[in-house]
Amino acid sequence: MFLNIGPHHPATHGVLHLKTVLDGEQVADVEPDIGYLHRCEEQMCQNNNYRHQIMPYPDRWDYTANLPNEWAYARVAEDLNDIEVPEYAQILRTMSVEFARIMGHMLAVGTFALDVYGDFTATFMYAIRDRELVQNILEDLTGQRMMFNYFRLGGVVWDLPEPREEFFEKVRDFIDDLPEALEEYHDLITTNEIFQKRTIGTGVIDAETAKQYGCTGPVARASGIDYDLRRDDPYGYYDELDWDVVTEDGCDNFARLLVRMREVEESAKLISQCVDLLEDWPEDERDIQSNVPRTLKPDADTEVYRAVEGAKGELGIYVRSDGTDKPARFKIRSPCFNNLHSLEAMAQGEYVPDLIAALGSLDVILGEVDR
Amino acid sequence: MSLAPLQADPVLLPETIARALFGGGDLAIWQEALAAFLGAFVVGNIMLAMTGVAGPWAKRKITAAFTDRIAVNRVGPAGLLIIVADAVRLLGKELIIPEGADRPAYDLAPLVVASSALLGFAVIPMGQIFGVNLMLADPEIGLAFVFAAASIATLGLAMAGYASNNKYSLMGGLRAIAQNIAYEIPLILTAASVVLFTDTLQMSGIVAAQQEPLFTVAGITIPSWFAFVNPFAFVLFVVANLAEVGRNPFDVPEAPTEIIAGYQTEYSSVYFVLFYLGEFLHIFLGGAIIATVFLGGPAGPFLPESLNFVWFVIKIWAVFLFTQWARSAVPRVRIDQLIEIGWKGMLVMSLANLVLTAVIVGVML
Amino acid sequence: MIGVLKSMATTLKHALDGSTFTVEYPDVAPEVSPRFRGVHKFSQERCIWCRQCENVCPNDTIQIVQDDQRNGEQYNLHIGQCVYCRLCEEVCPVDAILLTENFEFTADTKDEFIYNKEQLKNVPWYKDIDPLESREPDRGAWIGEGEGEVDYQ
Repeated sequence: MFLNIGPHHPATHGVLHLKTVLDGEQVADVEPDIGYLHRCEEQMCQNNNYRHQIMPYPDRWDYTANLPNEWAYARVAEDLNDIEVPEYAQILRTMSVEFARIMGHMLAVGTFALDVYGDFTATFMYAIRDRELVQNILEDLTGQRMMFNYFRLGGVVWDLPEPREEFFEKVRDFIDDLPEALEEYHDLITTNEIFQKRTIGTGVIDAETAKQYGCTGPVARASGIDYDLRRDDPYGYYDELDWDVVTEDGCDNFARLLVRMREVEESAKLISQCVDLLEDWPEDERDIQSNVPRTLKPDADTEVYRAVEGAKGELGIYVRSDGTDKPARFKIRSPCFNNLHSLEAMAQGEYVPDLIAALGSLDVILGEVDR
Repeated sequence: MSLAPLQADPVLLPETIARALFGGGDLAIWQEALAAFLGAFVVGNIMLAMTGVAGPWAKRKITAAFTDRIAVNRVGPAGLLIIVADAVRLLGKELIIPEGADRPAYDLAPLVVASSALLGFAVIPMGQIFGVNLMLADPEIGLAFVFAAASIATLGLAMAGYASNNKYSLMGGLRAIAQNIAYEIPLILTAASVVLFTDTLQMSGIVAAQQEPLFTVAGITIPSWFAFVNPFAFVLFVVANLAEVGRNPFDVPEAPTEIIAGYQTEYSSVYFVLFYLGEFLHIFLGGAIIATVFLGGPAGPFLPESLNFVWFVIKIWAVFLFTQWARSAVPRVRIDQLIEIGWKGMLVMSLANLVLTAVIVGVML
Repeated sequence: MIGVLKSMATTLKHALDGSTFTVEYPDVAPEVSPRFRGVHKFSQERCIWCRQCENVCPNDTIQIVQDDQRNGEQYNLHIGQCVYCRLCEEVCPVDAILLTENFEFTADTKDEFIYNKEQLKNVPWYKDIDPLESREPDRGAWIGEGEGEVDYQ
């Protein structure tokens, strides 16, 4: 039986169309049909100048964890134009990006629970509540709850809000309460036998297949691929901090959930280290931006590809310049795009509910898939 | 344990009405019919009012409590008037009938679902309110009748699923059938283990059998409710009942995130309201069966017997609360796992329970 | 079974402690941080019509019309299209345009969201907070400090 799952389906997390062929209730074939949320993001970036105008747009790609996207653009533009970033700004970037990662993973956990539990599940609301706490902190820091536009070429736009002590206290409160909140999630979902029955051993993708599909981020790490750009291609302040890359060998939906939840712990570890550093930073060395010319015109025909570890995986940007102040070609390598297509391998022979669960565990953001 | 002495036959509701209307003595057939009709009208309205509250208001409030939200509180005191607003909203919507729908079946399905649940209430002893016994009929086969009436709903779901001309609905309908067959049997087998104690299928007899004190702890007398006499059967029954009414973790026929509310997908406006009501009526009917069979019917402390309808209501609301609670915390099982639990787990356990109870009853009584 | 009971206990704990996380919105206004970026406010008295904001705006939200003497005639801002990136405020050398914390605005049709300079001037402050005070520190990155006390009227 041919079944259209989506484009308007409660479990597609946006507008995704899965062309599914069913055998009874088992999935014989599934093909994601994308493009419903295509917003010409690459073209828009090609029509805007490097210096200021592109920066608001990365926030709109992966709209659950926005700041890593900004860093992807900041990194590529800074390498293209040889811009130095002050160390203090790097710490601010690292901290805010880890907050954004927590945001993204919280929503991923919540929506995954929603897919497995059904509507009105408590887990989703608790996840949103914790996400909201992060948003409050980021609102104090960046001035917006979602579309932060916090990064600038050569630094960030704002130092920590005054009074700093209050902000540190707020962050520390959050970090201190986080283990308790995570414990609650473990009580609610991961230790729940029915949940384990639903997720362990379903949506399996082994490491080799995952690599062939180009999966990155939590999806790859849940298949045992030890790959994290924060460690393998260090940027920002990550190589100075003490943290671990989380991997799981389960290859299934459950492992992907566990990776996300453990990554939240790692992010919290990174944030608390960043806060300690920021607190002790000498007052007269708090440079948040380096000196960047008002107009940036990189040499013609320079090509740069730089990637950062977004919440969903390797988020890369390729830019080719043509000597003007706007990129000649702007290409986004989005992790969700590759992760989504591994659904084909995951859902083969599974039941429809597991197809939905696998889709939820991939945590695709259609804004990033279609761009 | 001996059988509790049956109380003097309680006067049923239609008879009470007939006496009030026409005095005592022999009644013509139309008088009896009118009284029965009025009685059914009263009981039906009580249940509909209850679901009317439960559907739009209590469900929101309860779900909100579990998820740290506030829920409706603006329209009327504590948001109670949201019921009116919801009724206007739902009834005011356009009734969209999909092209290619199988007309008589499509139209009848919601009626079947809602009415089958109402039918079940006919034999439920709901206790007394100001001395008036709210029970419509008390046939010998009461318990069997309730289960028979409740399972007609499956027919309605299958009709809806088939007639909607929608693949999701069809899947929902098929799932509903598979689930109901798998869980109806353990449900009835578990109830049968209670019947072994009571020696009767008559609802009033089952209630009467639970009136004796079981034992006394620290001055508190525990009545011989079958939930205390046979807790294992009680747990089995509650779980099977969750599947029977299609609530988490067994809401696979609906499964909004998988098959988009299954058989309901194509229903709107009045038909949707009927489905919605039917669903809640079903939960309450399940609660009423649990209350009658396992929780001593309308019996309860503190209140005089003439008001024990209040206890009955409390009990079925407790079951409703439990379904909502399970919904907030328990994931939905997959359809194959559901069938597996049903046939391999629940059926075996309920059979074991039945045999064990039979042995115990045979040896001890 | 233990795990199922544990998760049910967790939700019950939340149900019984009675605390709520959501607020009754219009009655209880949410906390808005001083840096929050909301609806713009514009002062014609301060504006020097340098058109930097129009240039920097990523999606042409700001439209400025000048006469042949380069005197400003119109300052239109399509608030419904704005992405609230605050770049216009950042580039403005005289703090003539800035983003208030006000996030509430409604209209019946899309074109009502095109605010002219009069409407922009009348955008209310949110809870009488002057956003400039809390945002001051970063301004040195592009241009010199503003001139301190802001008087929009």
